[in-house]
Amino acid sequence: MAAEERRRVAVLGAGLIGIDLAGKITRSSKLELALVAGRRRDSLGLRRAAEMGLPTTAGGVRAVVEAGAFDVVFDATNADSHAEHWAALRPTGTTLIDLTPTGLGTVTVPGLEGHRSAAHRHLNLVSCGGQASIPVLHAIAQRCTPTYIEVVSTGASASAGPATRLNLDQYIATTSAAIRTFTGAREVKVMVNISPARPAPPFRVAMTVLADNFRPAPVRTSIAAAAEAVRAYVPGFKVASLAVDPGRIQVAVEVTPSGRHLPHHAGSVDIINAAAVLLAEQSAAASR
Amino acid sequence: MKMKGTTPVNSTPNDPRPSVLIHDPTLRDGHHAVGHRLDAGQLRAYATAANAARVPVVEVGHGNGLGASSLQIGRALLDDATMLTTVREALTSSKMGVFMAPGWGTSEDLTAAVDLGADVVRIAAHCTEADVTERHLGTARALGAEAQGVLLMSHMASPERLAEQCALMAKYGAQAVGIMDSAGHYLPGDVIERVQAIASAVDVPVIFHGHNNLGLAVANSLAAVEAGASVIDATARGFGAGAGNTQLEALVAVLDRRGFDTGIGLREVLSAADAAADHLMKAPPSIDSIAVAGGLAGVFSGFKCPVLEAARAEGVDAIDLFLALGERQIVAGQEDLIGDVARQLKAGSR
Ligand SMILES: NC(=O)c1ccc[n+]([C@@H]2O[C@H](COP(=O)([O-])OP(=O)(O)OC[C@H]3O[C@@H](n4cnc5c(N)ncnc54)[C@H](OP(=O)(O)O)[C@@H]3O)[C@@H](O)[C@H]2O)c1
Repeated sequence: MAAEERRRVAVLGAGLIGIDLAGKITRSSKLELALVAGRRRDSLGLRRAAEMGLPTTAGGVRAVVEAGAFDVVFDATNADSHAEHWAALRPTGTTLIDLTPTGLGTVTVPGLEGHRSAAHRHLNLVSCGGQASIPVLHAIAQRCTPTYIEVVSTGASASAGPATRLNLDQYIATTSAAIRTFTGAREVKVMVNISPARPAPPFRVAMTVLADNFRPAPVRTSIAAAAEAVRAYVPGFKVASLAVDPGRIQVAVEVTPSGRHLPHHAGSVDIINAAAVLLAEQSAAASR
Repeated sequence: MKMKGTTPVNSTPNDPRPSVLIHDPTLRDGHHAVGHRLDAGQLRAYATAANAARVPVVEVGHGNGLGASSLQIGRALLDDATMLTTVREALTSSKMGVFMAPGWGTSEDLTAAVDLGADVVRIAAHCTEADVTERHLGTARALGAEAQGVLLMSHMASPERLAEQCALMAKYGAQAVGIMDSAGHYLPGDVIERVQAIASAVDVPVIFHGHNNLGLAVANSLAAVEAGASVIDATARGFGAGAGNTQLEALVAVLDRRGFDTGIGLREVLSAADAAADHLMKAPPSIDSIAVAGGLAGVFSGFKCPVLEAARAEGVDAIDLFLALGERQIVAGQEDLIGDVARQLKAGSR
């Protein structure tokens, strides 16, 4: 594909998420990464981006606005900064894909809202736990009426940057709300563990769904199909355990990044960034 | 003997002995021993007795703290608000404490707890993850509560690391910081090394919370005090997760013999402990085989009940299961893995 057909994009926030995202974008044939914006010139992330040969700035959102029109900007900073980022970028006409757990933009999970969301210019990707659980929970909710859903994510210490750690309350609120939206369940409980274990454990999301009167076989089939659909853009996504009992479905998924770009414990980074790139590519396709 | 920071609420101004503040999580940690099912009458009975014994802080809540009631960790019989309201009404001189780990509870839970009269707020993180406490220690301080920071599963990190993590929590605003021996793994020498490292890294009181898997909770708590800790957690009859906690009434007696002032009268604390025995438990915690294995393997004490259940369901040996969980370094909150590991054991594919 010729370079001029690529969508011009920028990454705001050069932390754990931002740097892997930058790498994924450079490997996309549909996107061209024109700027990585941080806020500290000496930050490890900006130095890494510069080493990757990418244009960088420490000027934050202002530098992104000044750098001119982007088709897509990804916000990989901190939930507390996101509203300000949207306010600054909105007038520029760009599509803003939010990877922080604010839930301010249209809540989006590829395959579920991806097509309709092409019409929106402010998308929110919920959270890593949301990206891993919602496809499966949505599939289950097509086969029964959940009365209660519980989702517990466990990530390795090394996969959670400082902003992730500051954003745990928003993570819980936004993930719960999104699960309610996509499943219709009234009661949803979300919890998250950051594990200090060494070697670091894989990213794991355990889900429990309580529901009456469902047939086990279609539930199992739907879960398998949902996992297959996620694997199309996150090859390391798998169902690690599944128990379908009367009144209760328990399923745990794990994400192990494939390829050599991320350590095996960084599945949380892999899944949200894969979703972000896919959505940007889809929005590129839709706007053409 | 270096005593640091704030004076315990009950220190008698004319008692020249160094003072130790006893923090009593009987009604929180004890929940692990009874599947989080204490009722309001039980909470009221013990809170009343502890208050009468002038126990400085009575902590209450689900075993894993605010917001933790769940299928994963166990559903509490009462919601957080009912527990706090019940205990608040029973306390006239003791402060009320709550415990919250970011990721299980949120700022919203904290705000509700302080509104309901929580005076002391403990924010917890796994041993190397202190930076998750920044937001909530700030919230607790902003709410005007006494904010403390504690590190769970502390045996998994070195003394230097724990000291650095405690210093972070002090920087975030914690007014006391310290470590929990969540697995009951420590020997007195381990405790001394860690408490000394922490005490020399911070200017606030140091907290120690023991478990009795290896029969050392009281000895470890005494070692902690002698190494410079001044806030010690202890529960009546040792009521708590796994083999139980540091036994309150024994610790009060030991500290008294050793020349420390807790402000707690022996007769009164013995009555409180009897009240706990009468109202809270069928039998006091004991060091059974599972407890010893868990302590050695460094597995969270609160896993005892779910491990026994999973071992029974899959027909595997509970001690084998505890050891397998220890190998994986599973921490509190990861209960979803217990069944999986049990099934792997059963399939012989460890
Ligand atoms: N880690 C995961 O698995 C994961 C998964 C899904 C979603 N998320 C979300 O993604 C976001 C980033 O997480 P992370 O783990 O990558 O954290 P991180 O390593 O702390 O990255 C955040 C980066 O954004 C920068 N930043 C913060 N505010 C900024 C601002 N106003 N302008 C410019 N740069 C700013 C930070 O710079 P400084 O170094 O100067 O602070 C840092 O480099 C969080 O909201 C998190 O909740 C994380």
